[in-house]
Amino acid sequence: MSLTSRFKNRLIAKVITRYPGLAQRFITAYEPWESGEPIPWAPPRKPLRECKLALVTTSGVHHGSQTPFDMQDSEGDPSFRAIDGATIGKDYRISHDYYDHSDAEKDLNIVFPLDRLRELQQEGVIGRLAETHYSFMGHIDGRHIATLIGTTARQVADRLRHDGVDLVLLTPA
Amino acid sequence: MGLIQREIEKTGIATVGVSIVRQYTEKVQPPRTVFVKWPFGHPLGEPGNASQQRTVVLEALKALYAISTPGEIIDLPFRWRRHDYSTYEEPGSLVPRNSE
Repeated sequence: MSLTSRFKNRLIAKVITRYPGLAQRFITAYEPWESGEPIPWAPPRKPLRECKLALVTTSGVHHGSQTPFDMQDSEGDPSFRAIDGATIGKDYRISHDYYDHSDAEKDLNIVFPLDRLRELQQEGVIGRLAETHYSFMGHIDGRHIATLIGTTARQVADRLRHDGVDLVLLTPA
Repeated sequence: MGLIQREIEKTGIATVGVSIVRQYTEKVQPPRTVFVKWPFGHPLGEPGNASQQRTVVLEALKALYAISTPGEIIDLPFRWRRHDYSTYEEPGSLVPRNSE
């Protein structure tokens, strides 16, 4: 994607964050993918105070040392970044041109509420938190939808399962 | 986001998502959702407002245990910064429905 169109995306992101009324036009223009398959269903089996919980976000957050999400591809970047819960608060970047993340740069919890979850864990409300969480950039379109569903989302799902995660909270941007 | 949520739920993990665009969620149909009519980039609220963020997190966790119809979206009643989050009544202990 050209530099001009990246600039345009960022500008639009700023404007629609400031004036949510305008967002409707962009929401209507984008057609999300429909699977037509039944909705998967696996209700919680244990009380929250005994569960292990992980966060998955599409806000484009990642560690400073990790490769940023690819903003050049207009159909998005379907890859994911593993997020270390212990260090992300001190060292994070957000690669995402499609929303204004200046507030999330001030307080990561508005898109990735790890501090709030940690407090709930300390209070005994949540059993425990996973050490590793996952981040995508969202805004995936066209050919990358198949990669997301068939490969990367499934890889993350498998990793979460192997890690013994019971519950996942997903946050957008 | 809903597509990722569906894949995770398929492996047997219970999931809940926070949505800020109800139309997308209605189409993609993830298993469980709480919706907030808030600005993009702020699904948990405003920077520095821990009680607002906590409220949304707790409402999402509550929905995780309360929703019994696949695809249900719960519209949260909070009106951005016009709501007094200090008066929020937190849910008690959350347990699977069949063990209540």
